[in-house]
Amino acid sequence: MELWAVIAILGMLTAAMAAFIWLALQLHVTPAKTKSKEQQYAESAEQDVEHIFNDEFRQELRNRGRLHFEKIINENAMFLQQDLRLTTSQLNQYMKVEITQTLQEEFSKYEESIADAKKLAIESLEKTQSAIEQQRQILSEQLQKEVAEQKAHLIAVFEQNLATIVNHYVLAAVGNQIDLTDQLDFILSELQANKKAIIEDLKLGG
Amino acid sequence: MMARATLTEKELVLPLSVVSRADVGQLTRELEALESAVRRATASKDDKPLPTSRLLDDISAQNKLNLLQPADRAALKTFLAMISSKAPLLHFSFSSDPSPRFLAKLLTWLRTEIDDKVLLHIGLEPALGAGCVLRTTNRYFDFSLRQHFEKQGEMLLSTLREKAE
Repeated sequence: MELWAVIAILGMLTAAMAAFIWLALQLHVTPAKTKSKEQQYAESAEQDVEHIFNDEFRQELRNRGRLHFEKIINENAMFLQQDLRLTTSQLNQYMKVEITQTLQEEFSKYEESIADAKKLAIESLEKTQSAIEQQRQILSEQLQKEVAEQKAHLIAVFEQNLATIVNHYVLAAVGNQIDLTDQLDFILSELQANKKAIIEDLKLGG
Repeated sequence: MMARATLTEKELVLPLSVVSRADVGQLTRELEALESAVRRATASKDDKPLPTSRLLDDISAQNKLNLLQPADRAALKTFLAMISSKAPLLHFSFSSDPSPRFLAKLLTWLRTEIDDKVLLHIGLEPALGAGCVLRTTNRYFDFSLRQHFEKQGEMLLSTLREKAE
């Protein structure tokens, strides 16, 4: 039930109470004394009326009016209670619908926010992954380059010192077993190869 | 007398037992000692044989010298002085101490092919391993195994590359 209906019912109740009060006041009004015959008749009739409508009768009317009023009041209160219950029920339904709709809208917005955040996070992760992959690629290339350089350097050093390495190995392996007498042929062949240079140097003298 | 000494200088040869200037110095000292001993023996008319070293015996035997004769002693003395001052000296370094037999063979070759009066100075250089190093007056010859390997480095590298491939 809408608010205007409640206001209308309350207005009707107020009008009924005003009519009842007006009627009660009219019953207590004292008629003026007439001096004429007609007035006398009227007074006589009035006295008869007063005789008929004596205090007990009036009291009876009052009681009946009170009971009727109470009945109307109770009926209207019952109607008001029913209307209030209906209004409360409708209000609950309305609130339920509104709250549900609001919650659904909020949830929808929340889901959209979560989806956006998820999308941003995924994009960020993809960018990070791409950057990491790029860095890994660069590092891998640098590492391969450095390994190749180191390898080339080691090979160059090995080749430069190959004679020393082989000499060291030969001496470590069989150095103690090589007698100078066994080396004589090698030494004499070297001397023979450099014989001319030796003789020339000796001729030059010191 | 002087003419004989000059002639002898050219004809005398060094035995293989005389290797270094130290040997020549020892021979010179022994010859002087022998000279003194002969003079004393002549003065005392002693027939006791004079003590001589193996070096002196070798050089006198190889050159057929009679060291009791003053002329031969003078010739040898002059020869030794000439050797001490003018003989070419070769410095050899080996990884270990060479044996007398090795030295004799080396000296034979040197006195045949290089100079018949060459003397040696032997040094030790254990790091050499095998081979030797020769140092003359102005030059340095590396006859070590390491140097030989360095000369043959390309062959070693090519062999290693073939094995690696």
